[in-house]
Amino acid sequence: MKQILKDWIIEIVILGAAIVLAVFNPSKVGSALFSATKTYLNLFLVIVAVALLSSFISVTIPKQTIGKIIGKQSGVKGILIGATFGTLMVGPAYMFFPFFKELRDKGAGANIIATTIGAWAIKVAWMPFAITVLGWKFVLLFNGLIFVFAILSGILVGKFFKE
Amino acid sequence: MNTNIIEGIILLIFVIVLYTVYFYRGNKVKIKDASKKSIKIFIQNSIRLFAIFVIIAILEKFLSPNAVSAFLLKFSGLIGIIVGALAGSVMMGPAATSYPLGQYLLAHNASVTLVSAFLFTWVGIGVISVPLEFKFLGRKFTLLRNSFTFIAAILIALIMGVIL
Repeated sequence: MKQILKDWIIEIVILGAAIVLAVFNPSKVGSALFSATKTYLNLFLVIVAVALLSSFISVTIPKQTIGKIIGKQSGVKGILIGATFGTLMVGPAYMFFPFFKELRDKGAGANIIATTIGAWAIKVAWMPFAITVLGWKFVLLFNGLIFVFAILSGILVGKFFKE
Repeated sequence: MNTNIIEGIILLIFVIVLYTVYFYRGNKVKIKDASKKSIKIFIQNSIRLFAIFVIIAILEKFLSPNAVSAFLLKFSGLIGIIVGALAGSVMMGPAATSYPLGQYLLAHNASVTLVSAFLFTWVGIGVISVPLEFKFLGRKFTLLRNSFTFIAAILIALIMGVIL
């Protein structure tokens, strides 16, 4: 019981807050629940895929393999793999946190994961839209700087993070 | 179609191919273990993510994008960068929502620096997903990564301001 409480404390607090708000403003909370459900359904396939992928990696891939490819010592190659993966992915990064945890448990370096999350801010799929709205100069410079930052933040996190 | 659904389909096809290949070429018992484990992970992740979606939705009811833009137009200079970066950290939602806001701000004489800081932390930092990051990646990692991202937002904003 104590363990359950510890594991789910955040969700329990959110539930409590939602109930309190619902007493004062049922219609707002109702429409919030509705739009949360819509978001969940939109992301349902991603959530299923992430669960399958996380368990696949945890069961089938040996620790040394992950460590070799994206371990702390994987160097420039590992950083570039992380940066490329993060750049190409779309959708919110936090959806992939459980997947990153699985990789971390399997020996992926904190530096590589930090780089991946940093590069997640680049949205290749949305770039054409961003260019029409903000202009190509802004968008290219902006995303170029984010890419450089992603790599630097990985290096810095790696420096501060003793594994 | 929604990009999240397209991404979901692509990812799912990839995972199904992975499972099928491993089932025939690799170890059938391990694939069964992985499938069983994935159900547990799926249920846990669903609850955690749904809770986050609820807070985001409640937040959206109180902080409309228009209200945030109007608020940001009151600031400029270094304070503008910091306020922009803070506002972007609190805002959540698809990056595509943030671009027209950026355009609106620029059209109303907000500085490039403020807009860059706002757009970067919008996708780079999520105050609301921090508890989730704590849970999965640890406190130290989360604090380090988010602090660097915040500092980077300000630096990137300043560089953008100098060049553009």
